[in-house]
Amino acid sequence: MEGLGDSKLKHGSETMKKNEDSHSDPAWNLAELLERVDNDQELLRDLLNIFKEDFPLTMRSLETAVAAEDLQNSARLGHTLKGMLSSLGGVRTAAAAARLEAIASAGETASLKGALDALKCEAASLLPELEAYMAEVRH
Amino acid sequence: MKILIADDDALSRRLLEKTLERAGYEVTAVENGKQALEQLSKLEAPRLALLDWVMPELDGPGVCRAVRKRSEQTYVYMVLLTSKGTKEETVLGLESGADDYLTKPFNAEELRARLRVGERILLLEDRLVEARENMRFRATHDTLTSLLNRGAIMDLLARELHRSHREKKSTTILLGDVDHFKRVNDTYGHVVGDEVLIEIANRLLGSVRSYDFVGRYGGEEFLVVLNSCDPAFAPGRAEAIRKSISNSPIQTAKGSLSLTMSLGALMSSDWGLRPVEELLHEVDTALYKAKASGRDCLRMAQPTTRTEPVSAPSLQPVRLQR
Repeated sequence: MEGLGDSKLKHGSETMKKNEDSHSDPAWNLAELLERVDNDQELLRDLLNIFKEDFPLTMRSLETAVAAEDLQNSARLGHTLKGMLSSLGGVRTAAAAARLEAIASAGETASLKGALDALKCEAASLLPELEAYMAEVRH
Repeated sequence: MKILIADDDALSRRLLEKTLERAGYEVTAVENGKQALEQLSKLEAPRLALLDWVMPELDGPGVCRAVRKRSEQTYVYMVLLTSKGTKEETVLGLESGADDYLTKPFNAEELRARLRVGERILLLEDRLVEARENMRFRATHDTLTSLLNRGAIMDLLARELHRSHREKKSTTILLGDVDHFKRVNDTYGHVVGDEVLIEIANRLLGSVRSYDFVGRYGGEEFLVVLNSCDPAFAPGRAEAIRKSISNSPIQTAKGSLSLTMSLGALMSSDWGLRPVEELLHEVDTALYKAKASGRDCLRMAQPTTRTEPVSAPSLQPVRLQR
């Protein structure tokens, strides 16, 4: 019989596996994004600008929700970030956002802060890459 | 083709917008489900919709459910965009009324291919609706003149009589018969006879208001229903209709033919609410009187009193200018 503990264990082991898998992914999959935008540099710049504006705002809202242990808003904002990041090719950060969403949806308040830290950590490696690319295409 | 995008994520919305514009779609982009529903409720609304699953105000499945509840509008092909991946969620999305779903982040080629499927479905729906409308038209309209057929105009007349009685208004029923039509067929043949009937139908339609009814009652007989017609003006309007036939000759393949029409008329306010068949019988009797009075004229059926039996109406000739 599968109890709640088993279910959590399974969820936990899946998360670990995803973590291992995601580390082999690049922080930013530019090739995938270029394919998605049909090599349209102007559109790519548009998307990066939107991201630059929206990402910090959403992150701040998420931090507030996590601090307040607001599971519903944490899940919603995690979902938003997951969509935003995956559209942009930020594979690992998107995966971190997905984990946070799953944790919040599962009501695992205790794991929420850790998931947010993991997300921030991934974002810290993604953002410089995006900034560098934007600087490069600007010149 | 018009398409609606509903996504609260500006980045995803911009990406979809550009991808679809490049594919030739006319894109409307909104940021929540409520706005999506408003757009889809408009006249000439997009019939293709890409809806994000999770949205503020109303989520994608909520939009699908609301759209499917409406039965009067044309079909909208809706694709849910989701990063939700479980089978249960997919089933939930499709059961809300979505036609398809696409996982985020989407692949542009897959998106276009799935929308082409949607376009094919909509095309099939258009053909189906067109076929149904054609069938409905054929079931209610006369093949030769495209006027309402007997069954359809009788139904409309019955409804109109009840409405005018309820609203204390008067409906005028006119039964017209083309004078000496048999001679046209016998002399010039049925093809010319048909031309004449078509032209008469056009003239009758041209001489009534858009909300009046004109139907082919049978052969060369036409039924005209003048809705909410003030009894004071009814004889004058009936006369104008008669003149629309006799005023100018009808052009046919065998030359121009001068034809006339005899009319029987009845104002419902004079008779009270009676069965359609009874009233038509009275109009028919008035038409018979018009024929007997030398044709090309109007006779109005009038009861001596409203309480008299229907079988004993009086007929009073209307003095007309010819």
